[in-house]
Parts: sequence; structure tokens; C-alpha cells
Amino acid sequence: MSHLQMLSRIPRPLRTLERGMAQSQGWVTRYFKAFCKGFFVAVPVAVTFLDRVACVARVEGASMQPSLNPGGSQSSDVVLLNHWKVRKFEVQRGDIVSLVSPKNPEQKIIKRVIALEGDIVKTIGHKNRYVKVPRGHIWVEGDHHGHSFDSNSFGPVSLGLLHAHATHILWPPERWQKLESVLPPERLPVQSEKESLHGSP
Amino acid sequence: MFFPGSLATTLKIECIVEQTYGPWWQSLHRTMLRGILGKTFRLVGYTIQYACIAHCAFEYVGGVVMCSGPSMEPTIQNSDIVCAENLSRHFYGIQRGDIVIAKSPSDPKSNICKRVIGLEGDKILTSRPSDFFKSHNYVPTGHVWLEGDNLQNSTDSRYYGPVPYGLIRGRIFFKIWPLSDFGFLRDSPNGHRSPGD
Repeated sequence: MSHLQMLSRIPRPLRTLERGMAQSQGWVTRYFKAFCKGFFVAVPVAVTFLDRVACVARVEGASMQPSLNPGGSQSSDVVLLNHWKVRKFEVQRGDIVSLVSPKNPEQKIIKRVIALEGDIVKTIGHKNRYVKVPRGHIWVEGDHHGHSFDSNSFGPVSLGLLHAHATHILWPPERWQKLESVLPPERLPVQSEKESLHGSP
Repeated sequence: MFFPGSLATTLKIECIVEQTYGPWWQSLHRTMLRGILGKTFRLVGYTIQYACIAHCAFEYVGGVVMCSGPSMEPTIQNSDIVCAENLSRHFYGIQRGDIVIAKSPSDPKSNICKRVIGLEGDKILTSRPSDFFKSHNYVPTGHVWLEGDNLQNSTDSRYYGPVPYGLIRGRIFFKIWPLSDFGFLRDSPNGHRSPGD
């Protein structure tokens, strides 16, 4: 006997009841399946986006005053961190970058790039007066000299520790701005091997 | 970019089709193009989804790596295929004697594969065996001292100094090729290089 012939022998009200029960069980299973499918699509895409494209972070500390956190601990700036720009480890002098701290791998620090590989910098408070930045390294400093734990303390940092490029301040709204890659003129390297794309005087 | 260009071309082709051909041809072209567009979007969607899952797997769990170079012989030969896991790095569980993959300090785009000889605070023998006066150094905080097993033919921390912990990508724990050497990796053939171990 075919499936259709069997179905036609069941009285009509019973068929409707069975279909209703199957639908309510199917509703739970379908919801669960849709949830799993959405979860396994949304979570990896979101994590990849935050790791590879851009994320947002709050700046703490006074080492980058007055560019970041001029109000001290009252109001911390929230910056947009752009990972996509540094995917090939290309940075310019004057960029504000976030990197993994060489002294504490659990912490990220945000500083300005002062010199690239091959440059000779005049240091402030470092054990050597002049330092040549080795290949694959950069020299970073906070804008607030004296209150900054930067390359003047731990020397040049490897480019592999680079995390992201801070491009904009997003919060508080009165401080909305694009962060410019300016190098203070007194911190220009003494001698530079690589030409900066922005053009140096 | 692929998307806007293809959409503009599709719309242009549809207009030309409407002007030149009759209604039967119009409906055929419209369904064909919409079918192709739909398939393209779906393919791109799946590619993005699988790429993201692959990124999460390689970044947070681990992956398969092919090693090249003689610096870890005899433990890992040239062109061996090994499994690396990233969980130890994220939970800060890297120990002395582990073989790790790290970004090269002088070239962030390439990776190095060495053994951890000392963690932060350890006293490391940094002089060569041929030197008469032995010199020791302490590994600074947040850094590790890496050395290859093939001491004669390895550029490692003896050359470029201690490596920041943040450069470590993962820990190698299993070799899968060649099959004659399948299994967990051996301990260092060089004995212990740090005094007071």
C-alpha cells in the first residue's frame, strides 16, 4: 500500500491533530537549529572583524597628553583602533599606534611612532644618548615626556608587537576628531634612512 | 571591487536586453541574471563565513605548520609538518623546554621556530662554549630566551637577544610528517643551559 493510500485511510480530525503536534515539536527543533546556525555564523565573523579590521578601546593614563586624555582620569578618551592599516606592518613617523607592551604581554600601550628602522634618535632619559633603530623595530614615545613608559625606558620595539593604528577619537563627543600623524619638530630623528610618505622638510 | 561593478554591468545589460529583444527574451535574461547574481552573493557569503571560522581556528585554537630550515635539527628537520596550538600562549602557559613559533624580531612577516630555554628572571649562560670566561645574563621581564636545538647552525637569542613574549604565536607539540617520526616531540638534546635548574 502506498504512503498516500495509507494517509487517506486515517479519519480527517486525527490527521489535523497529528500535524499540529508535529508542528509544535518541529518549532522547537527549528528554533534550536536556527540559533546554532546564526551563532556559528555571527560569532566568528564578529571576532574576525574585531581582530582584523577595527575595534574600539578606552585610553587610560596620562602618557599621551595633551593629544589623548587631556582631562586626566575624569574623562577617558575612546579611540577607534584600525587593524587593517597595519596588516602589512606599514607605519609612518608620527602615527599613534597601539602595541603589546614588551614588559607585560597582557597589557596594550598606546604611543606615537617617532622613528622607523635605520633612523638615529636622540633619546630622553635612555642609557645611551643616541640610538640607531635596528631592522624590524620602531621607536615609540608618549607625548607627555617624563610621564610615559616608552622606548626611552625599554628601547626600540619589534614591529611584530604592533597591534593597531589609532585613527579617530570617538568619545566624548566634544572631542570627536581625526588623529593626525604629526611628529613634533623637536623629536625628528637625527638621521633617517627611509623617506616618510608625508614628506619631510 | 567586484560587487558594484558587476551590479552596474547587470543593470546595463538588462536595459539593453529590454530595448532590443521581445518580452520572452527579457524574462529569460532577467531570471538568468538574477539566478547568477543570487549564486554569486551566496558564494561570497559562504567564503566570508568559512574564512572567518578559519581565522578564529588558527588564531585561538591552533593549526598545522610546515617548518623549514636546519636550526631545530635533530628534533625538527627541514620540511617537517607539525601541529601547533595557541591555547598556551593565550593562557600564559609556555614553559621552559617548549618549542614555540614566534614572529621574527627583525622581520615581522616571517616566523621562527625555536625552543624556550629561559623565562623572565632566569639566569642564562650567554657565552659560547669556546669562551674562557663564562658570562651570564638575566632574561628581562616580559621576555623569553629562545635557542634552536642545532646550536652550531641557528640564529636565535644568542644573536638578537631576548624575545618579547608578545611575539610568540603558538607552541608546537606534535609532529605529523614524516610518518617515520610521527608523535610528540623530544626534549632538548643540549641538556639544561641555565644554572640552578
